[in-house]
Amino acid sequence: MSDTTPVIPDQPEVCRTVDAEERGVWRRVMDRFADHCRARSLFVLHYCTGCGAIELPPTITSRFDMERVGVSPMVTPRQADILLITGYLSVKTLKRVILSYEQMQSPKYVLGFGSCTINGGMYWNSYATVKRLDQYIPADGFIAGCMPRPEAVQQVFLDLMKKIDAGQANAWQDYYLNYDRYLGNQMALFGEEWHTPVDVIAEAEHYGYVGDGTRGRFTEILDRHAAYALRDAPEDYPERGANERLLP
Amino acid sequence: MTLLADLILMPLVAFVVGLLLVLMARRVRAKIERRVGPPFLQPVYDIVKLYAKKTQVSHGVMHDLAIMMLLGGFITAEIFLPVPGLDGLAEHGDLITLVYIMMVPMLGLALGVGSCANPNGSIGISRALTAMLAYDVPYVVVIVGACISYGTTNLIDIVQIQQQGGPATWGAATMPILAFAGLLATHGMLGKEPFEIYIAPAEIATGPMTEMSGKYMGALFVMQCFQLYTVGVLYTTMFLGGGENWLFFLPKVFAVIFISVAVTNVYGRYKTDDVIRWMWKWPTGIALVGLALVMVR
Repeated sequence: MSDTTPVIPDQPEVCRTVDAEERGVWRRVMDRFADHCRARSLFVLHYCTGCGAIELPPTITSRFDMERVGVSPMVTPRQADILLITGYLSVKTLKRVILSYEQMQSPKYVLGFGSCTINGGMYWNSYATVKRLDQYIPADGFIAGCMPRPEAVQQVFLDLMKKIDAGQANAWQDYYLNYDRYLGNQMALFGEEWHTPVDVIAEAEHYGYVGDGTRGRFTEILDRHAAYALRDAPEDYPERGANERLLP
Repeated sequence: MTLLADLILMPLVAFVVGLLLVLMARRVRAKIERRVGPPFLQPVYDIVKLYAKKTQVSHGVMHDLAIMMLLGGFITAEIFLPVPGLDGLAEHGDLITLVYIMMVPMLGLALGVGSCANPNGSIGISRALTAMLAYDVPYVVVIVGACISYGTTNLIDIVQIQQQGGPATWGAATMPILAFAGLLATHGMLGKEPFEIYIAPAEIATGPMTEMSGKYMGALFVMQCFQLYTVGVLYTTMFLGGGENWLFFLPKVFAVIFISVAVTNVYGRYKTDDVIRWMWKWPTGIALVGLALVMVR
């Protein structure tokens, strides 16, 4: 029995394996549709700490009316899509920003408003303010200026919409993928005791956004906190939940 | 088979009309504030966006069930509410059933918000139930008066009585005082200013909705569509003669909601106790006068 066809062992049958999800036309259409809607409906949580807040009333009221492109203000982080950081952040308010950011549901976007969020602006040599916002939470866009005018605010919203529509506004994934780096920067400011009620690592595991940078030497410190909390806890203290890190 | 088609069609129609009502409410508000207002598909964008969130936070089984109660309550209400061409279960239920069913969503919301353990939510829902206590008293008086006037509680019969005699036999013409009280109670039922005590975004951060995110918030947006539709259609059925077809029916529904939406923008917000005091004094008083007139006649 002779076989003329040469058989090469251990050779893959196709050039590359096609991802099952990649092939689904229906899935791609739905993703496209969802992105289309996401880009046209943006709920903004104004984090009005700095002087930038004064530029927002003209932006959302009758002078410039952001509702005609689907941007409307919301009052709690749970409902919001965009966290708008209007102006400088002191170390103390950054903590609240991070708490708010972690309560928001993905896809979520962060916009830095004014020079203070980019390089400290006029507070560049202050000991109490944060110089670069995107070291602590991933930002999708910045508005330079001190103050930026409402036209500039509109422009950054329109740019963000284009990015969302093209499916490219994915900075929120970076927080899951490189959580260790962000947490390290946060701990550098707030000390090693810093932890938030949201278990970012568990969320990353649950939604499939675990990367090489998700865990690291800083998240190990978090685990130590959790272990400490469980050791000192009474017997009926609940186990670590899927979503929430249970700490006193 | 017709019944099955009705049961599927009625909530769908309610949802689509509700979307248009939400759009109208937002556009009217924008026009009064001299803005352009949202684009035509904005309510759809909002709902799809909320349902398409990639992470979701649930606060337990009760939180999930509450959403079912919320939407289920309103969908049931739509089935009992006759509209042109679609009767659904209206023959088997009546006005009293409908009033009961319309309380279910708010109670469901209370259960769900309770499991969120958010103080703003708890304050919000306690205010919502208090507001319900306030506007339901005049509303029940109005409904009793209407039932006495028509001599029936069956919604199909009520519509027929009004349509046979033309506009002169509409509820708004035969019992104008009750109709006016009903309009005031309707305004309270929609939770618009000055009775917006349980949303109060600047005060208690939208109250019951504080902890709602993603699909839960989406369900609340859907609920808002149903709520506007149900309240508008119920008022139209009782006082504006229903409608022979959708061409006559829909303008009436939109007019009822329009009055409420147009009035709301000029008011601030009452305190909770002021809402109760006002609701139990004016709409209730007017409704009682209307009821007396109906009973004397």
